[in-house]
Amino acid sequence: MRFLQNKRNTRIAIADITFTLLLLSLFVYFVFYVSTHMQYRWNWSAIPGYMFRYDDSVGKWIPNLLMEGFFTTIRLSFWATILAVLIGTVMGVFRTSRSLFKRMIGRTYVELVRNIPPLVLIFIFYFFISDQIMTALKVDGFVRSLSDEHKSILTFLFASPAHFSGFLSAIFTLAIYEGAYITEIVRSGLESVEKKQWEASYALGLSWQQQMVHIIMPQAVRRILPPLAGQLISTIKDSAIVSVISIQELTFQGLELMAATYLTFEIWITITALYFILTFSCSIVVRKLELYMRRNDP
Amino acid sequence: MRWFKFGSLFLSVIMVVTVLSSSGMAGSARQELVEDSLLEQILKRGVIRVGMSTFVPWAMRDKEGNLIGFEVDVANRLAKDMGVNIEFIPTKWSGIIPALLTGKFDVVIGGMGIRPDRNLKVNFTIPYDYSGQSIMAHKELAKGFNKLSDFNAPEVTIAARIGTTAATAAQKYMPKAQLKLFDDESQAVQELLNGRAHAMVAQAPLPAFQVIKNPDKLFLPLEDSFTHEPNGFAIRKSDLDTLNYFDNWIRFVEAEGWLKERKEYWFGTRDWEDQIN
Repeated sequence: MRFLQNKRNTRIAIADITFTLLLLSLFVYFVFYVSTHMQYRWNWSAIPGYMFRYDDSVGKWIPNLLMEGFFTTIRLSFWATILAVLIGTVMGVFRTSRSLFKRMIGRTYVELVRNIPPLVLIFIFYFFISDQIMTALKVDGFVRSLSDEHKSILTFLFASPAHFSGFLSAIFTLAIYEGAYITEIVRSGLESVEKKQWEASYALGLSWQQQMVHIIMPQAVRRILPPLAGQLISTIKDSAIVSVISIQELTFQGLELMAATYLTFEIWITITALYFILTFSCSIVVRKLELYMRRNDP
Repeated sequence: MRWFKFGSLFLSVIMVVTVLSSSGMAGSARQELVEDSLLEQILKRGVIRVGMSTFVPWAMRDKEGNLIGFEVDVANRLAKDMGVNIEFIPTKWSGIIPALLTGKFDVVIGGMGIRPDRNLKVNFTIPYDYSGQSIMAHKELAKGFNKLSDFNAPEVTIAARIGTTAATAAQKYMPKAQLKLFDDESQAVQELLNGRAHAMVAQAPLPAFQVIKNPDKLFLPLEDSFTHEPNGFAIRKSDLDTLNYFDNWIRFVEAEGWLKERKEYWFGTRDWEDQIN
């Protein structure tokens, strides 16, 4: 059986060719339809300039709106994932905790977040909650009081001072949303560790904390990692939602550019390609990770 | 019973403390008002944060990603005259008033029409600009339409940007027509170009510009705009100092003739055209 599974069929059948041709002709028809029926005036020449432009004052190529948005999307997804993993780990441990109170907190969080549309959650969080937190933490004043050097580091890692507090609330919002899914990943990972592992470590006289850190977690992490990496890809895709709260990420920048230039199709297609490049390269890495994990399974 | 007694005692203590402290604070209330005003905060921060949204030619991005446009000129001049730096916070138009109210920026300088219903939520300065809504229509679908009443029919679809005075005007003047609302003007224009809407209402001069761009598909059923509305800066309520400053700044630049000159550049000419495309 195993032999059969591993050997892949590489012969191309007639049906495959027909199907491919059918798909191709559909695509050609679509392009034909758009260009004739819709009488859309294509103007691709402006797009590269909106990705990178040559700056005369500095004398080198610098990213323009679309690429700036692209990098913001990466930064946003990166930090949101890290925060979401923290939230998810704590809540995931809570979900499997022996204390009823902790289990209830974990369950409430997951059910609340998963049963609200992300768009609604983002609006609520951005306008009501994050505003209170940001004002209480005095984030804005703090960022402005930094030296220029620190400001540029901050701009590189997060966002420019003007957009910093907005960016931070976007990270929180996304992290809260993704955290619920990561909680479930962590919970299932912890629960997948056999009960006898708990019992054996208990019999060895380890405390709950020691059992968790030395016995259960190392085994769980191995199973958690691949779906967790998949969740990172989801975060990248979900980050497009925060364009509604005016975070300067890829979708928002694209929408702004469309409003100014009316190059609707060109810009949407470019955005699609950029997202695809980003998520597909992450998928490849995840696939490699999964294979590596499987090969090194003890 | 004991808890109840304790609770009422606690409450009365709080009340006494509140009354005492508030009577003590009355003297410094004026001082606090001045310090709390947006104007002081902007000066202290050294930065004015302006909320805006892309509307050609009020505010848009040029090829280098910089903001340009009539509103951008106004905001830049305001910041220069106040002696502070400027930060633009591009915001979705549909959420711009909530964002202002929750303090995401200090002021909206974005061609916002002064409307009584909006004024219940925010304060407006005196008008620094007047604009009007104008309508453009699809050449085939709306053939022969030349007055607003032609569009006021149930089978007519009109596109507009959500939350704008254009949408309100469309509803008011063509209540029978179906209104299709979009987040951005470009989406509404695209809908019209694709022939899924008969007409689009937008702030002048956008329809005229679009007709120049697409003469084979669009036309202007009416020569002029059909509404006339004042535009002002919007700020949060109960801040008279700031309102007074902005009002008088507008009077000042208007008397100088600067506002008129800028308006002529952005709306009367198309010299800026090559900066964007």
